[in-house]
Amino acid sequence: MEQVNRPARYDVRGLAEPDADAPRIAEVADGRARFDAEGLSTRQINLEIRRLAYEEGIDDITVANPAAKHSLGVGILTRCRIRFEGSLGYFACGLIDGPEIEITGRVGWSCAENIMAGVVVIRKNAGSLTGAALRGGDLVVHGDVGARTGIDQKGGTILIGGNAGSSTGFMMQRGRQIICGDAGHGLGDSMYDGAIYVAGTVASLGVDCVEGEMSEDDEEMLDRKFGIYGLERPSSFTKFVCGKKLWNYDNLEANERKLVL
Amino acid sequence: MSEGHLTTRVGIDTEELTGKTFPYQHDRSLVDDVDLVAATPGHDLNWLEDIHLLEEDGIPSVFDRYTNAFLKIYFDIPHGREDEYARKVLIKHLQEGNSYGIWLKHKHAKFPQPELGPWRGGSSIVGTDWTPPEMEGWTAPTGRYLDGDEKGTS
Repeated sequence: MEQVNRPARYDVRGLAEPDADAPRIAEVADGRARFDAEGLSTRQINLEIRRLAYEEGIDDITVANPAAKHSLGVGILTRCRIRFEGSLGYFACGLIDGPEIEITGRVGWSCAENIMAGVVVIRKNAGSLTGAALRGGDLVVHGDVGARTGIDQKGGTILIGGNAGSSTGFMMQRGRQIICGDAGHGLGDSMYDGAIYVAGTVASLGVDCVEGEMSEDDEEMLDRKFGIYGLERPSSFTKFVCGKKLWNYDNLEANERKLVL
Repeated sequence: MSEGHLTTRVGIDTEELTGKTFPYQHDRSLVDDVDLVAATPGHDLNWLEDIHLLEEDGIPSVFDRYTNAFLKIYFDIPHGREDEYARKVLIKHLQEGNSYGIWLKHKHAKFPQPELGPWRGGSSIVGTDWTPPEMEGWTAPTGRYLDGDEKGTS
């Protein structure tokens, strides 16, 4: 096969494939859209999703055969339902604000990073850095997750049906993590707010992560989240919080407050 | 709506940015009918779960992350319902399109997106005609950008 050495092309925003257009291949019926992503580039798939959600106003979109491509379903800023039938690669569904997304397969690194609001449900396993810098919304992984899940988490809820890898909750600032299985070494290392609930065993705690006291509000939240997502709730959880030994500040400057909030 | 005056003090206050306050900051009845669950994705409060009543300049306030600024609440908040009203005021603020950060979308949004994001359906699409700002006397380095032809491939 003749290899075409066409150099990568970028538009003024740094995007590859500057000439890509939405393929307009979705079949729409009863307000629902479905298209087959086989043979489409990452950008074409994302443009088709955006075309349907933004231009057509369709709020129920199914993408078949995503073929574990990276960066699918990112930056969707409206309320809609998106279902990926298959697995996704790295950085799936990041930077969203509003969608409710279901992924029937597995995902690679950094799924749902930086999401502002919405729901992402992964039916199988997820890689490392799942929910990195999560700002809000619910992220549900039915299987296991890799290392550094919820690193720098600033809000929202991460619910893990299986086990979590090492350094889960590293530098967590706010929000909730619920781990139904076991947690690896360095749980909650350098966290300075938020809460991590673990039903199984913890290999080791990270710096300044200590066991906390379960409250009625905690139990209500756990019941509610498990009820919504139909997962079987383990009978008991141990709560982990920040020990506040690393809290070396009294008053935050205005710009620092922005970062924390 | 009351008009204010911008100051030069360093702050993260919505009034500093917009120069005014909005009626729902003063009148509780204007936010009473806000349905928080309907206004958020999923079956509970979703991202609003992390929104709480805070205080800025000694006044009850809610933090608007879309502007990076506090929105002050001047009406009396019933005891025990602080977070509820903070969330209702914030959602009203976003749905009405008054968040200063959202105003900036008209000029600075680089990609097509609903102006009012996920808070109100059917809002207009902004960011469809973004062009890079031009600085007088500055030219883009060669080989970095395309000008619609192949000369700048990298």
